[in-house]
Amino acid sequence: MRGMRSCLFVLLLASPAFAADKIVIGATLPLTGSESRIGGFYKEGYELAFEETSKKGGLSVGGKKMQVELLLLDDTSTQATAASLADRLINSDKVQFLLGTYATNLVESQSVVAEQNTIPYVNGGGAASAIYKRGYKWIFGLLAPVELLADSMMKWIDAEQKAGKLPRPATIALLWENTSHGKDFRKGVSDFAARSKGGYSVAVDESFELNGKDFSALLGKVKAAKTDLFLADAHLPDYITMQRQYVTAGLCHKILSYGARGSEKQAAEALGKKDVEYILSAVWWSPLLAAKNPQAKQFVELFKGKYGGRTPEWYQALGYETARALFTAIEQAGSLDREAVRQKLAALKIPSLLPGGELTFPAEFGQQIHAPFVVQQNLSDGTSPIIAPPDAATGKGIAPNPGCPK
Amino acid sequence: MERFAELLIASILLAGLYATMAYGLGLIYGVLRIVNLNHGGMIMAGAYAGWWLHEELGIDPYLALLPVALAAFLVGVLTYGLLVRRLPRGAAGGVQSLLLLFGVWLVVRNAAYLMFTGNDQTVRTSYSTLAVPLAGALVSVNRLAVFAAALATLVILHLLLRKTYLGKAIRAVAQNPESCTLVGISVERIYMLTFGLGTALAAVAGLLGATLFPFNPSFGAGELLKSFVVVVLGGLGSIAGTAIAALILALVEVFAILVIPAYLTAAVGFVLLVLVLVLRPGGLFGQRVLG
Repeated sequence: MRGMRSCLFVLLLASPAFAADKIVIGATLPLTGSESRIGGFYKEGYELAFEETSKKGGLSVGGKKMQVELLLLDDTSTQATAASLADRLINSDKVQFLLGTYATNLVESQSVVAEQNTIPYVNGGGAASAIYKRGYKWIFGLLAPVELLADSMMKWIDAEQKAGKLPRPATIALLWENTSHGKDFRKGVSDFAARSKGGYSVAVDESFELNGKDFSALLGKVKAAKTDLFLADAHLPDYITMQRQYVTAGLCHKILSYGARGSEKQAAEALGKKDVEYILSAVWWSPLLAAKNPQAKQFVELFKGKYGGRTPEWYQALGYETARALFTAIEQAGSLDREAVRQKLAALKIPSLLPGGELTFPAEFGQQIHAPFVVQQNLSDGTSPIIAPPDAATGKGIAPNPGCPK
Repeated sequence: MERFAELLIASILLAGLYATMAYGLGLIYGVLRIVNLNHGGMIMAGAYAGWWLHEELGIDPYLALLPVALAAFLVGVLTYGLLVRRLPRGAAGGVQSLLLLFGVWLVVRNAAYLMFTGNDQTVRTSYSTLAVPLAGALVSVNRLAVFAAALATLVILHLLLRKTYLGKAIRAVAQNPESCTLVGISVERIYMLTFGLGTALAAVAGLLGATLFPFNPSFGAGELLKSFVVVVLGGLGSIAGTAIAALILALVEVFAILVIPAYLTAAVGFVLLVLVLVLRPGGLFGQRVLG
């Protein structure tokens, strides 16, 4: 019996949480399964943030330097695994804080576990506003809601309309994937149209299932409606499939967008440069922000230094910034007390690499950041400059789509 | 009228894709009475094989159909020889075959994740977005090619089953394996060749699908489900029934957009499946054996 007790004591001492001079932060990411590509990107962001902190000797907590260690597990892109691994990290591995996984559905299930265990849960992978409308205290989100994505894009379109480049009123074909992401996008566009006092009317309002194989009937409906704008919200595979069918159906709109999709190199390779020209997209972050945002510039340089000159995408930036937000709150709290860190996260206000340049978790939005999106447009020279908001713009957008026949 | 023509053409082309996906599943069930859950895995493998040949060797996906089909045939023969052959026959082997082939599918899928990561891949050719006018509508050349391949597969399968000794033997084994042994047909050999043929058809379907939409290692799951619907609608074991069921499913799905929201159209097929199972459990065209 005594031997067993000693053994247990040794095991407890060896467990991460009992290593008094270091902070163990738990996280899961979809490193295998359908989201593995993006999970890998977030991992790069997390690892860069932890490495940079280690280089500085760790975090300064209550006047003492403490190293931070990431305990990262693979949630295999499934909701149940994400939730059970979060439970394991908290109750078996005894991590002090949690960083979130990627994809709305995984964050949604994992955040329940964090809330039940009263542990700060900072994530950069869940955008749906529904996650933050549950009155949870321990979740903090760095991905702005998709409604704002639609809103940012509509603001640019509205400016073009006011400049006389687009018809008023303009009709919209609004297609959205049948997910919380798509529903938020739809709400953003619909709300903007409703506020526009007749500036916009939604003529086609349809949703579609993920990973669709045939959009021809849906696109036929769009064609028949003869709208001015085509605004869709789709994941990358559906964007590629739909855009291929869009082009072959001979469709062309004054404004064409697939929400967050559009400027990806992969899409240009799959569709051909010509078939992605003038597509409008709005994303949470772009490396082009480095031109005007010092935090973004520093991140891009650090990332390129670590990963052989490769340019980061928004996934890595969000991963990095998520870890940095938690690190800052721990340092500001000056202790590892969960409640103290939670309070500092709730009151956080720091310069950020994100658009708008500031990171906060507003209580009125359930502690989800409300940073603006950057709107980009694919131009004929192969570039995709930021065209809005004006303070981040690196180029000028073109409307109406010059590729359409007059 | 123009809209009707567009929807009709879209239905016929979609039917081609559905039929291609379902032939292999129907053939294997018709002869071996085994539901090949690895059908989805082989659809995915066919897509990757075509993509790899196109990316690495510059082979056009339609020219790659034959080598991919041959390679998949060998994989099917090996799978049968090494694994499926050891299963008990008939109803007794039902659960075992489901578990075994589901396991094989998981292995194939995870091997693909290891080899190709979870990134979405696409096969892009010079004609990927090429369209030709047809009955007042613009029709994708790629979709037409997939439809032609589906039609060709139907004709080849029909001729194989009707006009060749092998085909007659396959049909005989499907009807009564015990009697076949008495007249000197090697039932095991027929089973092995049929499993190879079904696997090759799955890979061909995957390759054709890859020319139309992006895919990753999880590709094949939705296609397997759709194949089930088509095979059950058409009547298990009926090749012509499979083709007609594919057309019916496509027509219902495409025209449904006129009356219900687009996101519900995919569910229409499953409603149809339930209705057929309740009203005509043998499928719309009955339990014909490869006729």
